[in-house]
Amino acid sequence: MRTRVFLLIAIAAAAVVFAAARAVSNDYVFFAGYTVLQFIVLATAWNILGGYTGYVNFGSAAFFALGAYSTVFLHKTYPLPIPVLIVIGGAVSGVVGLGMGYLTLRLRGAFFAIATLALAVVLQTLVVNWDYVGGSRGAYIIRPNEIALIGPYIQYLFLLMLALAVVALATARGIERSQLGYGFATIRDDELAAEASGVPTLRLKLVATTLSGALMGMAGAPFPYYIGYLQPSSAFGLEYAVNSIAMPMIGGTTSWIGPLIGAILLGTLQQVATVTISSAVNLLIVGLLLVDFVIIAPNGIVGLVKDRQAAFTTMAQPPVFSLLYILNLLPMYFLTGQGQAAQSIDVVFWAILLFVAYTRGGLIGRPWLVVFPAAGALLGVAPVSSTTPVIGTLAAATSLDVTAVVLAAITVIQLIGLVCGLAPKPRLAEAPAA
Amino acid sequence: MDLSFDLIINALIAGLLLGGFYAAVTIGVSISFGILDIVNIAHPAFIILGSYIAYIVNTRLGIDPIVISIVMLPAFYLLGAGVYQIYYEAFEKRGQESLRGLSFFFGLLFVTEVMLILIFGVDYRYVEAWYIGPSWRLGVMDFPLRMLVPCLAALALFAALELFLSRTFVGRAISAVAQDQLALQLMAADPIRIKRIAFGISIATTAVAGALLIIIQPVEPSVGREYIGRVFAICVLGGLGSLPGTVIGAMLLGVLESFTATFYGPSWAPAVAFGVLLLTLGFRPAGLLGR
Repeated sequence: MRTRVFLLIAIAAAAVVFAAARAVSNDYVFFAGYTVLQFIVLATAWNILGGYTGYVNFGSAAFFALGAYSTVFLHKTYPLPIPVLIVIGGAVSGVVGLGMGYLTLRLRGAFFAIATLALAVVLQTLVVNWDYVGGSRGAYIIRPNEIALIGPYIQYLFLLMLALAVVALATARGIERSQLGYGFATIRDDELAAEASGVPTLRLKLVATTLSGALMGMAGAPFPYYIGYLQPSSAFGLEYAVNSIAMPMIGGTTSWIGPLIGAILLGTLQQVATVTISSAVNLLIVGLLLVDFVIIAPNGIVGLVKDRQAAFTTMAQPPVFSLLYILNLLPMYFLTGQGQAAQSIDVVFWAILLFVAYTRGGLIGRPWLVVFPAAGALLGVAPVSSTTPVIGTLAAATSLDVTAVVLAAITVIQLIGLVCGLAPKPRLAEAPAA
Repeated sequence: MDLSFDLIINALIAGLLLGGFYAAVTIGVSISFGILDIVNIAHPAFIILGSYIAYIVNTRLGIDPIVISIVMLPAFYLLGAGVYQIYYEAFEKRGQESLRGLSFFFGLLFVTEVMLILIFGVDYRYVEAWYIGPSWRLGVMDFPLRMLVPCLAALALFAALELFLSRTFVGRAISAVAQDQLALQLMAADPIRIKRIAFGISIATTAVAGALLIIIQPVEPSVGREYIGRVFAICVLGGLGSLPGTVIGAMLLGVLESFTATFYGPSWAPAVAFGVLLLTLGFRPAGLLGR
């Protein structure tokens, strides 16, 4: 009964989103929104297998591309309406997921992860060599301009993806509260014990793989119509694999809301980064956030408050502290001096650095450690020009441009911060009072 | 399709030489995944890092890439030891290696690759050395030195590691750490320290593998991804944790790929590793020389 209520609320929310997007009356909103919605579906699909049962799928791109290429194949053979294509794409990916799972899930967990990694390479090889679907040259799909009742075609695609997101979220939430969900959780927590207590682990794992694969294929099926020209490197793009892992990890993997939060946050952040900077920087951001979150907040944003202690114990280790400190400095070198939007992304990493320094500072009894990232953030984010007192003089003296001087200054300050965070204390650091 | 004797014998030689190189690429994974049970999917990223270091030093100073890689061994060892310490504290100790540990390595792979793209771009890079170009001919058989030198270097690396693992106390402790940590502790060896050393060695081999890679082919940052499937396929085919198995598996895969490339075209070669991986997992998960 409550599932039905949830579904109603989700549909209402989707209707509000669609109405709001139409109210803006700018097609860009639909193009950007489609991508974010697509990531919601992919992240939720990944989480059904990865978050609920604990099996990592690195081949999201492969399942996504399978859906996209079944659309291309059918488009050339016998054109069908997109909702039908979505069902077919889902079925194809689901079957491949089932087959993969059957071959590898009987063994140790790592084998499945490795096989999914390799699956993407092989499917890409197949598609590149298959001329009917375009081969390495790619395939054109001419998208109609208008559709009856809705108007612009992109709005139709947006609406379809919105519906798919509702379906994916409702499925994920339904699983969580059903016997299936409890079965998945037992596998995640202790597969051996679950097997011993009579949980049919293999069958449950296969259900999860099939469902997750099918949803990814469904997300991929409308993609050729969205992009207009599909080539193997865009359908198998690494961003799908990394995003569908990073989004649940950042949001939180134990419930349906985690992937949703992660996809909205990361998806929006990437839209900003792609438009204003470059797609390579945008992938760097996702990768860095993934590493940050798996170490600092194992249960994502959802579990952040509860897991403070975990962050403390991890930060007690000098190598972990150094890695996080250096990694989160990296984006600065690509974002400083790139304009307003880049700075807003930079702020995210400065915030993480502040948190890292604060935690480490509290742990080793040097609370003043936060001063270093704070100073760096001020320097990096504040508008600096050649007339700024110290920086301007330095820039003139060294005949470098202002950005380079700022970066050099920040680097020096952060290096001092890193050394202060690592330097041994006269007496041993005590554990924080719990 | 011309099934002449020359073609077959040369495909076989090319495959064996390629296989020798694959052994160098895989031997590190054989230690980390096979012996320590650490699924380091970032391994190829470290290899590409090794390639770029060889490229930078080679173009600036003109030093031989293999010499560079040997000089870099200690640095890569320390890098590996550091990565293990992080992995242990953040994931292994908390019992979260399966989901978050894997994602951590995936993130590392990703960050390394994108950083290299941002710094060097996606242009192919290559090195200069006297053995890149000429080849030896023995009758109809063709031995390109560009492949022969990496193969010999790989076999030397294998021999050194095999001797280390079987003859020294630390080496034997590494073999033992996977089997019984408690027993190892009773022998007065700290399992975490042993694992750190082993992982450090595993990453150290990537310095050599990276230099060999850039000798064999021009390198750009995403080349590493092609090797993920290959290294794990070889590792599983040879049998987890068995170094001789790794070499045999690598040679086998090299020959298979070489024949596929010769008779069906090089664009099919990447699919061979996956086929081998799935068949091995399906029919003989223990591999050829598995424990």
